[in-house]
Amino acid sequence: MSPRPPRRDYWNEPTLGWWERAYIFEIIRGLLTTNRVFWRNMGRWMTGRKGAVTSYYPEERRPDYARGNRGKHVLTQRPDGRPQCIACNMCATVCPAHCIEIEAGFDIEDTTHPKYPEAFAIDYARCIFCGFCVEACPEDAIRMVPDVPNLPGSDRHNMWLDKEHLMTWNPQQDVAKPYPPKGGLQK
Amino acid sequence: MPGIVIDGRELEAEGGQTVMQVALAHDIPIPAFCWHPALSIAGNCRVCMVEVEGRGLALACNLPIYDGLKVHTDTEAVRNQRKLTLQFLTLNHPVDCGICDKAGECLLQDYHYAHNGSPSTSIDPKVHATKHYSLGSRIVLDNERCILCSRCVRFTREVSGSNVLGIKHRGDTSLVRPAEGRSLDDDPYSDNVIDICPVGALLSRAFLHQSRVWYLTTTPSVCPGCARGCTIDVWHRKPEWRLQAVATHRNHTIARVTPHENPAVNGPWICNKGRDLAALVERPRALEPMVKGEVVAMDQALEAARQAIAGAQRPLALVSSWGSNEELDAFKEHLAPRFSCAVKEDHRQQPNEPGDDHLLLRADKNPNTTRARALFGETPAAVPEGTDLVLVWGEGFDFDTIPDGVATIVLGAFDAPENGLAAVFVPLSIHTERAGHFTNFEGVVSAFAPCFPPPATVADAETVFPQLAPQGATS
Ligand code: SF4
Ligand code: SF4
Ligand code: SF4
Ligand code: SF4
Ligand code: FES
Repeated sequence: MSPRPPRRDYWNEPTLGWWERAYIFEIIRGLLTTNRVFWRNMGRWMTGRKGAVTSYYPEERRPDYARGNRGKHVLTQRPDGRPQCIACNMCATVCPAHCIEIEAGFDIEDTTHPKYPEAFAIDYARCIFCGFCVEACPEDAIRMVPDVPNLPGSDRHNMWLDKEHLMTWNPQQDVAKPYPPKGGLQK
Repeated sequence: MPGIVIDGRELEAEGGQTVMQVALAHDIPIPAFCWHPALSIAGNCRVCMVEVEGRGLALACNLPIYDGLKVHTDTEAVRNQRKLTLQFLTLNHPVDCGICDKAGECLLQDYHYAHNGSPSTSIDPKVHATKHYSLGSRIVLDNERCILCSRCVRFTREVSGSNVLGIKHRGDTSLVRPAEGRSLDDDPYSDNVIDICPVGALLSRAFLHQSRVWYLTTTPSVCPGCARGCTIDVWHRKPEWRLQAVATHRNHTIARVTPHENPAVNGPWICNKGRDLAALVERPRALEPMVKGEVVAMDQALEAARQAIAGAQRPLALVSSWGSNEELDAFKEHLAPRFSCAVKEDHRQQPNEPGDDHLLLRADKNPNTTRARALFGETPAAVPEGTDLVLVWGEGFDFDTIPDGVATIVLGAFDAPENGLAAVFVPLSIHTERAGHFTNFEGVVSAFAPCFPPPATVADAETVFPQLAPQGATS
């Protein structure tokens, strides 16, 4: 066995005086803190105000998500409302959680876009929100937007977002990143 | 025997070989689009350039070897030439790999990653051509992706002999097209051109956009379509890519079938019927054991069958010519002593189906007639007089030929009205759910492996036969 490395000194190394070491006084102090917060929140709650920072999800959503939050996938649409996705499966292939499933369709009439997703589903019970799918997409067809999916449930096998759900985003109204991009799609 | 040197390795070769053949035999990689080991040499793609000492660049695929030949496959000049060739081939190529079924097994893709890696330098707009040209009911052609290697054309001339395909026009307007008034539907081997096309220009309609190939894996198998018994690869979804929400039937169905190269039986080819294996095995199944039409447990069905066999005076057994060698041996060992046995033709040649031909197809549409005939007698013209029990294993038997009042035991995999009328019906596993061997009409034995687990309520014929033997009741 290799010798244990010497213990590092941390900047926040705890230092215990005799008072802390006596234990009983610190325990009482901790209980007092817990009680103080509990009764404060209880008092506010009984008088109809909001106490703790807990939000009552799903009735209520936190307004203060981080600016970088990308909690929900959307499928971008072509101007006629059909999905931009070409069902190439790059996103499903790169996904480390293997949680994207696509069934491709073929439409010979749609000459510039003959392959499209007939079904598209993402399992939110397994997605780790890494964003690889967005990176891998050659068509800018899948994006993640600052939102959270409204998916409370009691069954982990029932947390799939389907194509209809993923297509509800209206890209024309997204000022931050409009779709199609300014100057049109790259030819 | 001329001695030649490739990349500094002294290699033994046979006279008449080309540099490409020698390199292939010694696992020296030389890229090739138009050259195919089973076709004539066209020498049109120019990607196989190698450097010959003292002579400069030459095509490896049509350079015959001679004593003292020294070849280099990886010099600056060769690398540069490959790069230029690949850039030239992609001048008008649409590079739509995202929607191309060949992506993942495409030579153009592979060679680009290996030898080029830079985009087209052309400033001219790409020449567009027909995107979905119908070559009959089985194949569509994407002329934009075609690199005009002529492999498909040579296949229909040299292998299948149908002479359907040709190339018309010149230069960047060249197009692969069927001959006037002909269609690839005339060619029972047409789907092989899909495999040999080095790019995604020839696409199977049945497999079109069904799956990306990297989601699939292969299981070696044997085509049961005729007495040739071609070795095949059955493609199905990899376990780690099992679908859970979308199109879950793909987890347990055949995605496609390709030849498994085997010089002793089929070489690198199979016929179109072999490709349609799904149509043969994915028919409505019979899943429940039955006694006189009542669904029972497997034990009860086997017990009822055992009693019927033990009590019969003159039982007749019709043995399946789709049984594997192992199943036929098990039948011979455990049941043949009780029965008078005859081999049954499970499938017959349909009126529109080709019979014996110059390449692979056989008129006998059963995979194991050879072994079955070797063990059991010929098919009887009619059920013999005095028979009081008929055991029918497999399909293709006309139940109207059984006299009234004779009990039947049916062992089968597929749904049929006779199953419910039989005294006992035992559901069996199908070709893609069991392992075994077939003996083809030339006596070559080939193995097949299971691709999918069988449904819980069906049994393997090999394990059923020992349990049906009369002594099975006492042991
Ligand atoms: S964010 Fe990551 S885990 Fe989630 S679907 Fe995309 S690739 Fe998969
Ligand atoms: S990578 Fe993009 S275009 Fe391809 S399947 Fe995924 S969303 Fe569709
Ligand atoms: S269709 Fe395929 S096999 Fe035929 S010439 Fe074109 S690239 Fe070659
Ligand atoms: S020739 Fe016979 S064994 Fe070979 S693929 Fe065709 S049907 Fe199957
Ligand atoms: S492989 Fe030699 S020219 Fe095509």
